[in-house]
Amino acid sequence: MSVSSSRKITPILGAELDKLVTLPWIWITLMGTFMLNLVLAAAYTSVGLQGAAGTQNILNIGLASMGYLQAGFIILGILATCSEYTGGQIRTTLTVIPWRGFQLSAKHLAMAIITIPAAFIITASGVLYTFIMMKDTAVVIEIDAIIESLAGATGYLTLTTLLSAAIGGLLRRTTPALVILLGYYFIVSPLTRDFLPSIRIYFPDTAGHYMYMPPSSDEINGLTPVQGTCILMLWTLIFITVAIVFYRKRDA
Amino acid sequence: MRAFHAELSKLFSLPGIWLAFLIGVFAPAVIAALDSIAQKEEIIAGVSTRLSEVGYIGLALGVQGVIILGVLAVSSEYLTESSESGGGQQITTSLTVVSSRLHFLLAKAGAVTVISILLCMVAIITTVSATHLILGEYTPALEWSRLIGAVCYWTFTALLALGITVLTKNSIIPLAVLMINSSVVSFSVLLYRVTKLAFYLPDRAGFEMFMFTSDRYHTPLTGSLFDRYHTPFTGGLVMFTWVAVIFIVAAIVFHRRDVAA
Repeated sequence: MSVSSSRKITPILGAELDKLVTLPWIWITLMGTFMLNLVLAAAYTSVGLQGAAGTQNILNIGLASMGYLQAGFIILGILATCSEYTGGQIRTTLTVIPWRGFQLSAKHLAMAIITIPAAFIITASGVLYTFIMMKDTAVVIEIDAIIESLAGATGYLTLTTLLSAAIGGLLRRTTPALVILLGYYFIVSPLTRDFLPSIRIYFPDTAGHYMYMPPSSDEINGLTPVQGTCILMLWTLIFITVAIVFYRKRDA
Repeated sequence: MRAFHAELSKLFSLPGIWLAFLIGVFAPAVIAALDSIAQKEEIIAGVSTRLSEVGYIGLALGVQGVIILGVLAVSSEYLTESSESGGGQQITTSLTVVSSRLHFLLAKAGAVTVISILLCMVAIITTVSATHLILGEYTPALEWSRLIGAVCYWTFTALLALGITVLTKNSIIPLAVLMINSSVVSFSVLLYRVTKLAFYLPDRAGFEMFMFTSDRYHTPLTGSLFDRYHTPFTGGLVMFTWVAVIFIVAAIVFHRRDVAA
């Protein structure tokens, strides 16, 4: 069957978006992440208010919850690809869309379309809450810096989601994918801070960290936001490519 | 007793359980080894401050293995099979065979307890040998009370994971919450700066059973965040209360609920 590739992409993307939007767990995860972020922002703000007044940076406090927040987006990415494999939906999908490379790329694209606004709303709400609570005590920074950091944070969360989706597609089962990714982001990565300080800035999460964190003076060999973005994007693309290669070769 | 055997054999036949064993046995040893290497440099430089904590940090983080164990033990029962093979759930079969729900839950908890105790013992052996291998003559003396504390911490955490999973019937929420909370960036570290009540959270109280023996505790991992708050015994008691409460709630909910709904 020969269909021109430009005519294929729109319906495939539409179908993938449809599948993601109708997955109840996606909405549960997004709502849960939103709530959790507000609670964490409140906690960090109250810690910040207890500290020395007038010296804190609103952005630093507003984005401090990112470390926990990424868990929600990791789950989102894993759910998007692993849900295909529970109950054999994958076989229906591949019967309808027999072009595997296109299908998986369209899934990642659809994932990005959903994640970008969600990530922006969630991070912005955290920063906004901090801003409202700390208007009087903290150093007010210009709006440009806020927008830059929010864009960085959104990009970081989106790329992390895509990375998790690719790994979910590779492993095809929710629990191992969840264990490996959460284990990496929350246990291995904080440990490497002490044990491998020199190479860890090239790891996906640390490189991504520089996308949204305002530059601090005590960091010697930090990356610029652009460098961070490039490195994280490279990691994501590598994993997506590997996932597509395996997906094309493997039995459904 | 037969239900207990059945639960054990169900657990051992789960493919995901090997991941739990792998993490539970090797992660503590690897973390302890890395920490020992860092310690050795400090000892040689003469600035060692936390020799007594070496190895225990590995046991504190290796608890991930039993979290997976506790979560999988329950969530695997609720996994829906594909529509091509009938779309059933194991829990319906399990409850047909062991019709008393309380017995079923107790057998499961018993199996998880036994496996986590064994796993923790193996982890202690690998961790202790790893630290001995690297630190040699500097190795701190073993304290049995603290090792028993670590075993209790692992067992309680596994039971906590099991209880929460009975309530959620799904592996995602308990895995995410418990894995993050038992890691270095635990929620309770944050909450403890907001309110002192965070000391009564299960993971923070459980830590007291074998960590923070010195009054002021300091590592590069955690900074000087931690002060000692409970004695090891009250820490254990607080954590046990959490486990008991969650278990009772889980048992009541499980008893009243439709099989797989």
